[in-house]
Amino acid sequence: MAKDGDVFTITMRKRPWWFWGLAGAWLLLEVVLIQTALASVREGESRAATISWIAAGVLAGCGGIAWLHKARPHNLGASSEQH
Amino acid sequence: MEERRKQNGRRTFLKAGGILAASGALGSIWALVAGGTLGRSTRKRPRWIRVADRPTLGEKTVDYKRFSGNDMFALYRPLKTQRDGAGAFEAEQASKAKRLAGWIGERKPGYSLPDVQLSEAAWTVMHSATPGTGLLSWTRISVRTPAELGSQRYTASPEETAKTVKAAARLYGAGLVGIAPMNENYINLQAPRQDEKQKDKEIVFDDVDVPEASDTRFVIPRKMKWVVAIAIPMDLDLLSSTPTSLGDAATAMGYSHSAFVVASLAEFIRGLGYQAIPCVNDTAQSVPFAVDAGIGELGRLNKLVTPEFGPAVRLCKVLTDLPMACDKPIDFGLVEFCKGCKKCAEACPSRALSFDDEPSFKTKGPWNNPGHKAWFEDSYKCLQHWQKVNSGCGICLASCPYSKGDQAWIHEAVKATASIAPASDGVFRVMDDAFGYGKQHDPEQWWTKNSTPSRRG
Repeated sequence: MAKDGDVFTITMRKRPWWFWGLAGAWLLLEVVLIQTALASVREGESRAATISWIAAGVLAGCGGIAWLHKARPHNLGASSEQH
Repeated sequence: MEERRKQNGRRTFLKAGGILAASGALGSIWALVAGGTLGRSTRKRPRWIRVADRPTLGEKTVDYKRFSGNDMFALYRPLKTQRDGAGAFEAEQASKAKRLAGWIGERKPGYSLPDVQLSEAAWTVMHSATPGTGLLSWTRISVRTPAELGSQRYTASPEETAKTVKAAARLYGAGLVGIAPMNENYINLQAPRQDEKQKDKEIVFDDVDVPEASDTRFVIPRKMKWVVAIAIPMDLDLLSSTPTSLGDAATAMGYSHSAFVVASLAEFIRGLGYQAIPCVNDTAQSVPFAVDAGIGELGRLNKLVTPEFGPAVRLCKVLTDLPMACDKPIDFGLVEFCKGCKKCAEACPSRALSFDDEPSFKTKGPWNNPGHKAWFEDSYKCLQHWQKVNSGCGICLASCPYSKGDQAWIHEAVKATASIAPASDGVFRVMDDAFGYGKQHDPEQWWTKNSTPSRRG
């Protein structure tokens, strides 16, 4: 519980440019996998649809983990000490 | 130190993930750029389909001459009798009919009464389309001539005329259409007999103004120097349930649709003031005309394979004297792909397709026209299997990796990559199997899906 008079420093750092590049690539791949899965369902290709859904799910999980991992202060090189 | 090592490990993991994602993204962009969505909307073909000076397969020698016209359907009965003795054909037909009745009674999937009748009814248009008469009349049926409309006959540049004819063909239902120059060697020597009592009707060329279709012969005017080659996509949903009566409906629909398209297009051309002969399988060899017109390439299954629909098409054509700009053959890497793939040959239950690595001039029987290079098939084995399954087969068509729906972008990307990078062909074949493509679909599900035809293009 913070007390009156406590001072916090919140450091906001920009994510590096390559991170956004990777995020874009990840998103595009997700879109293609999901599109493939949906198209395979429509075309009655159940095995192709299942594999595409699983791949999309795994990629989404990996993306989530990477995002959270990079969001941790020490991974951004941020100082989080309390004054 | 430990913390630093952990961070390095994470960085490596992220970098590896990043490279993977970037590669995937590049593939995705390729899928979108190379994909046919752009091509389909503008009716232009994707950029990965290259124009070639000559066909990639089908190289002809001086021995290549006009084919007798006796395909396997005409030859099966005499061959069966010759191989298995007198009465063998009749006995086979009787046993086939008995078997079918049993299957209908027990509602065998794909052979229930609705399944069988769906196919039978789908043949209706084709069965009423006899070469030279009715829908396939060699002369004007009902369209008014330009003179009757108080007009001169249509004149435009060959390029403009080709565009006009292609647009009309697409409206009538053509999935792919191309123009080839007339090659008299592709015209059959005789027309198929409609029944045993009829005599063979010879097909000849002559310097006449109007095509003639009499009881004794067919006459093609020599001035007919152009052929409109057309591919009608088959319903992949139905085709995937082959070999069953239900799956046969895809073939029946393809033929009936072909008859409608060529009949309408021939009337359109006559309405412009020119002569036209509509043909489905009759009168001429459809595959070489389609290859010359750039509709597809000749594949391992010794059938035309199109880049858009694979081999899941029915071919038809219209011969005409309307001058048009001709198309050229195409190359989308199929022959190289077929050399390594062999999926159709493996899937063929009768082992009728060639497993040879390279195509050759060696034919398999009188149903093949000698004098050209191909992967020749054993049509006798193929038709024997048809008797066993009480329907047409089509497994080779459905199993081809090029027979795909057009909904998934990734299919276009794979075809595009195979076209420009044959080194990837083996990987795509493995992936095709891993994703379960080419397997027979449950025939019973077709009815519950209440599917509309998955015709594309």
